[in-house]
Amino acid sequence: MKTYDSIQHVRGESKFVDDLFNPEGLLYGYVYYSSIAHGKIVSINLKKALKYAGVRGVFTAEDIPGENQIGGIVPDEVLLAGSKVDFIGQPIALVVADTKLAAKSASKLIDCKIEEYPAVFDPRIACEKGELIIPPRIFSLGDVNNAWSQCEYIVEGKTETGGQEHLYIETQGAVAIPVEGGGIKIYSSTQNPTAVQKVSARILNVPMHKIEVDVPRLGGGFGGKEDQATAWAALAALAASKLQRPVKIILPRQEDMRLTGKRNPYSSDFKIGLNKEGMILAYEVTFYQNAGAAADLSPAILDRTLFHCTNSYYIPNVKATAYSCRTNLLPNTAFRGFGGPQGMFVIESAINRAAEVMGISAHEIQRKNLLKEGDEFPYGQRTEHCRAIRCFEEAEQRYDFKMRKNYVEQFNQENKLVKKGITVMPVCFGISFTTTFMNQASALVHVYTDGSVRISTAAVEMGQGVNAKISVIASKVFSIDISRIKIDSTNTTRIANTSPTAASKGADLNGYAAMKACELILERLKKTACNELKFDDPKKVEIREEHIFYDGNRTPLTWNKLIQAAYLRRVSLSAHAHHATTDIYFDKEKAKGKPFAYHVYGTAIIEATVDCLRGTYKIDSVKVVHDFGSSLHSVVDRGQAEGAIVQGIGWMTIEEVMFDGKGKLMTDALSTYKVPDIQSAPKDMEVHFLEDAANPFGPFNSKAIGEPPLMYGIGAFFAIRNAMKAFRPERQFDFVAPITNERVLLTLYPAERFSGMKPDLAIDDVKTPAALVY
Amino acid sequence: MSEETKSNKFSRRKFVKGIGSSIAGGYILSPAIAKAAKKISKEAKDFSEGKVPLSLKVNESVINVMIEPRTTLAELLRDELKLTGTKVVCNHGECGGCTVLLNNKAVYSCHLLALDAAGKDVTTIEGLSSNGKLHKIQQAFVDEDGLQCGFCTPGQVMAAAALLYKYSKPDKQQIMKEMSGNLCRCAAYPNIIKSVLSAVEKSNG
Ligand code: FES
Ligand code: FES
Repeated sequence: MKTYDSIQHVRGESKFVDDLFNPEGLLYGYVYYSSIAHGKIVSINLKKALKYAGVRGVFTAEDIPGENQIGGIVPDEVLLAGSKVDFIGQPIALVVADTKLAAKSASKLIDCKIEEYPAVFDPRIACEKGELIIPPRIFSLGDVNNAWSQCEYIVEGKTETGGQEHLYIETQGAVAIPVEGGGIKIYSSTQNPTAVQKVSARILNVPMHKIEVDVPRLGGGFGGKEDQATAWAALAALAASKLQRPVKIILPRQEDMRLTGKRNPYSSDFKIGLNKEGMILAYEVTFYQNAGAAADLSPAILDRTLFHCTNSYYIPNVKATAYSCRTNLLPNTAFRGFGGPQGMFVIESAINRAAEVMGISAHEIQRKNLLKEGDEFPYGQRTEHCRAIRCFEEAEQRYDFKMRKNYVEQFNQENKLVKKGITVMPVCFGISFTTTFMNQASALVHVYTDGSVRISTAAVEMGQGVNAKISVIASKVFSIDISRIKIDSTNTTRIANTSPTAASKGADLNGYAAMKACELILERLKKTACNELKFDDPKKVEIREEHIFYDGNRTPLTWNKLIQAAYLRRVSLSAHAHHATTDIYFDKEKAKGKPFAYHVYGTAIIEATVDCLRGTYKIDSVKVVHDFGSSLHSVVDRGQAEGAIVQGIGWMTIEEVMFDGKGKLMTDALSTYKVPDIQSAPKDMEVHFLEDAANPFGPFNSKAIGEPPLMYGIGAFFAIRNAMKAFRPERQFDFVAPITNERVLLTLYPAERFSGMKPDLAIDDVKTPAALVY
Repeated sequence: MSEETKSNKFSRRKFVKGIGSSIAGGYILSPAIAKAAKKISKEAKDFSEGKVPLSLKVNESVINVMIEPRTTLAELLRDELKLTGTKVVCNHGECGGCTVLLNNKAVYSCHLLALDAAGKDVTTIEGLSSNGKLHKIQQAFVDEDGLQCGFCTPGQVMAAAALLYKYSKPDKQQIMKEMSGNLCRCAAYPNIIKSVLSAVEKSNG
């Protein structure tokens, strides 16, 4: 089974937005943005820029005919800043010119005077000042206050996780083309075509039916193009509408990094209580989410943090409080895992700290507290078909955890400066948009008279293999060869009111919708077969590998003949179907309900080696048992798992987003922001598909895959940390991620050991990555 | 050497000489640095805005074009020749997305002036297969699924093709080293390694 379009991809024939034909008269846009984190715009002088050779127009907030508003969940973000700026990188003007170079050069001539205000970058400070995006959110189960008295051990601590740059290999971009009647056709690299359509219509003050959005495919999204692809498309649409010329905006890499939000950094406090046996009785946690300057998707991300604050464990008494804090940084946004990883990091930290205090291994606490069938999550849902223990135990056995642990211990006894660490990382991740209404999708299926099939859905292909999966589904329903099926670009005129391709739900929702549309056609075909063959019971008609069977017997009809017959009999060979996940709901006020269709389970065992003289490390191996359900496409699923693991490890280890004291992004190129390359990806990665794991809630019993494995990467942090502990058992280490080489070194060798090093670099004083100010 | 190549060489020399003499002038007359610098930038600008002829071979075809001297090879390929298979990802020589072959060696086309390819042979992803048949490294990427979103793929494939030119029997270490200049954010690395290994095996077996 091959991945979709792979032959095109290896020939360089696949068209991404920037590769599409260049329409006649195409102009290029360049975004001029704020270099001040917070302030009042005193004046904007465009005269010089407008005079620059080749410039066709410069647009500011004043040129917007409709509403200058791009906020999705909360209307709190303008497309172009008019009166004030709230972060460095906020768009102020769009310069449009004959060439990319002219547009960029002219933007340097814009004279924008900004009166600087004090800025806040630390979420805890923002919270103190009452700068919250939404009111605080609280999830609770049982009664923590009563539970503390029953605890033998109560352990408290603080954690920090940093941001993460999406670094989709294709940068953000869009082309807007004016069409007749005041309409605009937009080609956009977005995970969310309807958001692009809706916002562009709002900006231009036209009905949505005048805006057509087409998404050929994405060179990676990872959440970074769910909300944050919209602005560039809307800007292109604005300019195209004003100038009545096609306009292309492709963000150069550095601008992409400077202008788009990242994974939300979090600063958190935990308090965990356990009995003598290591059962967790109570857990209290407070999350300070760094939302940046606007809501974007942060409120929904905050919810997912709360949903995943207990990871794969049953804890009877939980109180989780979360603040979405407004700071003067880029509005942060969705990133694979969507707040879940940030929540899981804290509970894993709490367990590790508790284990240190109790003098046992974290693994023991993890093992004892795994979710069982029927256990209640803090949001009221109970586990169904729970596979937490199965995955955990199978990983232990399959990868011989005991033996590996002994080996690591022995290695550490024999080696002084190089130490190894091993850790287990269970994951339980809920599948569905936690905003219930978003769990819907549609599909449009055409069967052509030659028997070939073309399918449109709301799903955007971005490397996650959704097109491959939908082809599999359609070929299964019709029982035809997969080569007959083509999946179309995602287009708002074919599929309206799309939910974003996100939350790992692309294949589930759109797969079901495609399945239903195919089934509608199949029903008609069965009737046609009866008419052709003069049989009377369509229920007895079956297609097996392109041959038509009746009551188990092969008939002379084939797929091709049947399609021809249906066409001649004037039977419709097209169908549109809609799918909505049933039986899910969530009461936001009470913070209780059944928000997820199902959960994905799995366990990873991770080993790392740390050079304790240099602070460098290697992730030696990641070995996983993962619950894929009945995989629809094992190649795609394995690739997704491996890719997510590497990305998760990157987030925990080498990927560090840094801003200077003024809120300016310092890591705005690949030279300063490191992502895993072929050498730093773990040498030994094994992903075992949990057997006998059908999922009644997924198409053909499959499970979603995009996000859950990312969280195995959290184990890399603890594996490294365990190796460090072996080197300095006497020291108490922080829970600050990413645990870069520098941080490892500075942790192992506190400042006083360095004669020439300033004490303010001591790890104990390292400023929180949530504040991201160094 | 063809006529075009010669004239092109001449142009490059003139460009370099023009800048060099201005810099020298600036050094000697230090009080006049500012003025000299202005002159340099004006000269450089005048020059760079004019177009110069360039001749090179791209995917076996001889190409004669007039380009601005500052044009990168990637810009020439994508913008002028419409060979959009080559991707520009960072434009800073940091990711390998724009890798093409220059006389069968891998180069970052975003980091090379088109003029530096004068008289040379450029192979892009579009030119790798012959007569519609996939090159063995392309076939290996398909067979081993060495890709996810496909955006880094042309660069990966070209880097791997160059590797096969460089070594007849590369070992895993050499493969890792040669491929390490190509980032894949989908992290399809395990299958990328498998793809290259399988192509190596096939070419030796
Ligand atoms: S685009 Fe040329 S190296 Fe990144
Ligand atoms: S396949 Fe997506 S970046 Fe490599």
